[in-house]
Amino acid sequence: MSQLALTDVFVPDAAVLTDADFAAIVREHQATVFSIAYNFLRDAGQAEELAQDVFLQFYKNLGRIESRDHAANWLRRATCHRAIDFTRKRAAAREVALESAPEPSSEPAARDPFLREHLRKLIASLPARKRLLVILRYQEEMEMDEIATAMKMPARTVRTQLWRTMAHLREKAARLLGEAGSGLATPPKGERQP
Amino acid sequence: MSSFDDELRGALRRVEPPPGFAERVLARVAAERARPGWRAHLRRVFGPAPLRLAAVAALALVIVAGVGYERHARGEEAKRQVLLALRITARQLQAAERGVQRLNARQREPKETIR
Repeated sequence: MSQLALTDVFVPDAAVLTDADFAAIVREHQATVFSIAYNFLRDAGQAEELAQDVFLQFYKNLGRIESRDHAANWLRRATCHRAIDFTRKRAAAREVALESAPEPSSEPAARDPFLREHLRKLIASLPARKRLLVILRYQEEMEMDEIATAMKMPARTVRTQLWRTMAHLREKAARLLGEAGSGLATPPKGERQP
Repeated sequence: MSSFDDELRGALRRVEPPPGFAERVLARVAAERARPGWRAHLRRVFGPAPLRLAAVAALALVIVAGVGYERHARGEEAKRQVLLALRITARQLQAAERGVQRLNARQREPKETIR
């Protein structure tokens, strides 16, 4: 199948790519794009709409994509920008539709579903840019400079804002859990304010 | 690495899109490809090429004529203003000359009586 061609040599031209090639790209990156959108919006329907828009935009820009890494970065960056635009357009109160939550791609180790659900709600309450910083750092495991490139922000600002956001999240989570969560309020050893 | 970071990773783990997502994306791409581009849209609105050319030529002619007329009208207006200014200046010069003549006549009268 075309999968082989994609792993060997990246064919960026939309005219050269077959539907199967493009489908392979979509399947390869769909979890990334959809997860950023879903973790940002907490609504499966809206996340799918946003993810589809991103892939459509990607298709129109295939001629500019130089490599597989470029494609992955391009998709993450486009998803971030679309997500911010999305919240600007729909500034009205968002509803967290828990029943519409899709299944996780891998079975998680069941640790504390209560804490995780509250963490999701706390993240959903963050301003758009800070929410994306946390998603890119903890969902995508991206480095600060990668986040800075994706968000078009100085790396120093990314570091500072992420540090503050994490402190804010830790404090709120600790307050929520009371005694049991008192250890969460302090950052791990070696983590200093930038 | 703190347990809080792990919890955060757990809360933000990747999720698979609903089944059939890739197919829906491909369908949107196909629909986009089938949609006529801006050239086809232009053709539909303005008709075949010779007609479009004629329309563009007519438009260009109207613009050139408009610009020419505008320049001519501006020149005429400037000429009218210059003539008006000259007429006013001439009237003022005549008035000044009459004043000077009156003054000279008055200056001459007393000298004659002294003699």
